[in-house]
Amino acid sequence: MSATASASVPARSGAIEPAGRKPGRISVEMIGVYAVLILAALAIAMPLYVMVVTSMKTMPEIREGALFALPSRANWDAWVKAWTSACTGLTCEGIRVGFWNSVQILIPSVIVSIAVGSINGYALAFWNVPGSKILFGILLLGAFVPYPIFVYPLVRILSTLGLYGSLPGIVLIHTIFGLPVMTVLFRNFYASLPIELFKAARVDGAGFVRLYLKIMLPMSIPILVVAVILQVTGIWNDFLLGLVFAGRENFPMTVQLNNIVNSTQGEREYNVEMAATMLTALVPLAVYFLSGRWFVRGIASGAVKG
Amino acid sequence: MLSKRTVCLALAGALMSGAAAFTPAQAAELKAEVIHWWTSGGESAAVKVFADQFTKAGGTWIDTAIAGGANARTAAINRVVGGKPPTAMQFNTGKQFDDLVAGDLLRDMDALAKAQNWDKIVPKPILDAVTRNGHVYAVPVNIHAQNWLWYNKAVLEKAGAKEPKTIDELFATLDKIKATGVIPLAFASQKTWERGLFNSLLAAQSRDLFVNVYTKRDVALVKSPEFRKVAEAFGKMRDYTDPSSKGRNWNDATALVITGKAGMQFMGDWAKGEFNAAGQTVGKEYGCVVVGPSYVMGGDVFAFAKIKDADQTAAQDVLAKTLLDPETQIKFNAKKGSVPVRTDIDVSTLDACAQTGAKLLSDPKAQAPAVELMTPATVTGAVEDVISQYWNNPSMPVDDFLNKFAAALKSDI
Amino acid sequence: MKPRRFLRHIPGFIALAPATLVVLVVYIGCVAWSIQISTTNSRILPSSQYVGLRQYEILFANERWLTSLQNLVIFGLLFIAIAIAIGFLLAILIDQKIQGEGLFRTVYLYPFSMSFVVTGLAWQWILTPANGIEKVVRDLGFPNFRFDWIVDQQMVIYTIVLAAVWHAAGLVMAIALAGLRGIDAEIWKAIRIDGIPKWRAYLFIVIPMLKASLATAVVLLSISVVRLYDLVVAMTHGGPGIASEVPAKFVIDYLFERQNIGLATAGTTVMLVTVLAVLTPYVYLQHRRSLKGGHA
Repeated sequence: MSATASASVPARSGAIEPAGRKPGRISVEMIGVYAVLILAALAIAMPLYVMVVTSMKTMPEIREGALFALPSRANWDAWVKAWTSACTGLTCEGIRVGFWNSVQILIPSVIVSIAVGSINGYALAFWNVPGSKILFGILLLGAFVPYPIFVYPLVRILSTLGLYGSLPGIVLIHTIFGLPVMTVLFRNFYASLPIELFKAARVDGAGFVRLYLKIMLPMSIPILVVAVILQVTGIWNDFLLGLVFAGRENFPMTVQLNNIVNSTQGEREYNVEMAATMLTALVPLAVYFLSGRWFVRGIASGAVKG
Repeated sequence: MLSKRTVCLALAGALMSGAAAFTPAQAAELKAEVIHWWTSGGESAAVKVFADQFTKAGGTWIDTAIAGGANARTAAINRVVGGKPPTAMQFNTGKQFDDLVAGDLLRDMDALAKAQNWDKIVPKPILDAVTRNGHVYAVPVNIHAQNWLWYNKAVLEKAGAKEPKTIDELFATLDKIKATGVIPLAFASQKTWERGLFNSLLAAQSRDLFVNVYTKRDVALVKSPEFRKVAEAFGKMRDYTDPSSKGRNWNDATALVITGKAGMQFMGDWAKGEFNAAGQTVGKEYGCVVVGPSYVMGGDVFAFAKIKDADQTAAQDVLAKTLLDPETQIKFNAKKGSVPVRTDIDVSTLDACAQTGAKLLSDPKAQAPAVELMTPATVTGAVEDVISQYWNNPSMPVDDFLNKFAAALKSDI
Repeated sequence: MKPRRFLRHIPGFIALAPATLVVLVVYIGCVAWSIQISTTNSRILPSSQYVGLRQYEILFANERWLTSLQNLVIFGLLFIAIAIAIGFLLAILIDQKIQGEGLFRTVYLYPFSMSFVVTGLAWQWILTPANGIEKVVRDLGFPNFRFDWIVDQQMVIYTIVLAAVWHAAGLVMAIALAGLRGIDAEIWKAIRIDGIPKWRAYLFIVIPMLKASLATAVVLLSISVVRLYDLVVAMTHGGPGIASEVPAKFVIDYLFERQNIGLATAGTTVMLVTVLAVLTPYVYLQHRRSLKGGHA
């Protein structure tokens, strides 16, 4: 990809209007922009293409090894099987079994972890609480520890608290592991906001809570979108933590996905594996797509400052 | 009204069936939650045999399947540590549950072993593998042989080659297949299978050497001429694989044999599942043979955590007894592709490979424990890394390999 | 003045109390615990038998561990640089008031939604010479075309970089876009009035204003570098040989499959010390900068 494709085209000064120009005017520059965007999209979509065509092939076709070839006919059997009848243990009911469990884990975990992260970020960026720098430093460092290391001690801690193998337990675990990244994300975002905003509100007599709810939160929409993307994906795709901490009644969907794709000695069906993976990814994808309008609203929040 | 009558009938039915089982009060309590890693279609059918037999014995099977042995064991061990142990948990035959025994977290199964005469009917290496300090701590349920050679009959016929029985014959067959332009050895170049190939060759060379190297972990044995011969044979095997074998999954290598793109593959008896799934039958499209004198035995066991709850203990007793029941053993192993752990039962209903396996199994001179029965996981892993480095670096001198191999055997703390 | 200052901090203290508790108990507590374990001969369960630095000796005598560290450096530098370059470029292009923004954004982001377990397998197929890109290009009439990095011990780590960039570029784009959308409309007005060419405006005015987004992206990507595991397992299993092994895989293998938490925790301790060594100067600089004139 070339950065110069768009940059080397001399821009007419009238065209520079990223925030507010009406779409639809075609210039040389815009052709370059679209060319790069489309090429990038094609390159990024290539593995998806392979997965989709593989999911529609039969196993004998897959054994032939023509990776990019289209399937002999559109065949959705593997998708149906992945959702409803693939074996994941004693029962063969597909990956749908854990879907609601995943939703149940996802919603509170995302909300709690983002709420905690944004309040932390806000306190760290604006309030200069004594000792907060050290706290932030350790938190940041904590993000780098591979988390299997925490599994054993946390099992002991949670079972002492009586939360081991329960829904609140797994929500707490996701909040704990989301804490460093969420805090960094919000702290950095708030730190980039103009300090005058904070000072003006302070002069008006706004306190800690009011300032957060009335001024900071409405300005955080673009970063909230990013936080939601990160947490939804991370928590939805988590396997190890759900497996260890959620308890067998709450096993997330990834446990079923793993059961379909990860059997070491059983026979493997790649078409079903591919379909199962894409089905599992539908929830985060839907969230990304729907979050689009909030991203655009970020422009409006920029305008508030003017 | 109607509903009243239905209730009465149902109640009567329940009482009668309860009376038939002779344990009306207990029947409702015998719930067994079992953690295992059998999740694919074939494995699922196999585990269903256990579940059905347990239900017949009056129990309720609660299935917790988690694919990937390490994943399932992590969940199980953490459950034990966290104070919510499952009723039964799967391990591989070997040293995986040593720490749980040492921590006094497992029930011993001595009473059952005595009642079922395990010392008479279970092959010694398998019995040893579940015994610690004279007590039995797990119930073995199957034996998977790891050193089978699978071949495509048409490819061998076309090459004018025969089923190899020794290492020398193996090379002769490989050469003949190579001459026909087909990939001689279907290989999945991942650490586990590289180790599998090496150990298959070592076991094919000599059963005693294979066992002594891993149990005694003696440097002199690694430096012996016989071991060197195996290392060289292993190195030569590279010439019979295709470049795309790197990173390939084992079942894709099996697919090469199935489609006739390759001639043979070394793999455990679980490879049968792939042939069967592709609609092939042993003796018709494909064949199986053990090269050399040893039958390398691994397999699966179930261990039972110490639980205070009396109902759970009762459920454990019934389940453990069910697992080694002759009928269960035959039905389960037919589905799983493995061989029963009992040598006293009729295996004539199993397929030809399993029958060959059962025959080898009852011969103490052929019985060889799998590596993970002999070495702790950390040593098995270190050895695996060394074998993999050697396989993927054809310019590594054999002496370097032998030195590294010896060091890996000693890498345990 | 002092009591008033203290009062002012009370809401802050309350807000940060849960995080403080987590840091003390989980991050400091568990890390200290794991360091202690690394001085014992523990297998699956913690043991109390002290063995000094023996695990560290074993660790650094292990070729696979050394290769893992080296791979981490190569992978980390390339992955972060490339993912940020592509992510920021895509964000700037998307910010040009284009049609179908939502679609492009979703396409760029979709890799991030998928677990590596199977996408890694798709990548492995695509990169395997016999049926992937190499075969396709050869079939198109270039019989000498070679693209066999995934089976080449020297090059395999770059294929991991490739797949990892594919996975993360969309996320960087999202972060950069969030930054761009937060830029004041006044600034664009000023740029327009001054008639500065767009590419110069981006390069010299706008991107420098995205420092916070950049820092966020670097932190997130660095975390995924240190934790890199699934992708390697699914694509190469660490091979050929040990050529694409990484530290987190070493640790997780020894923690679970190889049942040696003593050695595994020695590995994490070394990883942690390394991260600390890299991070300390950065945190120190940040601290000095904030003394000069940060918020509040």
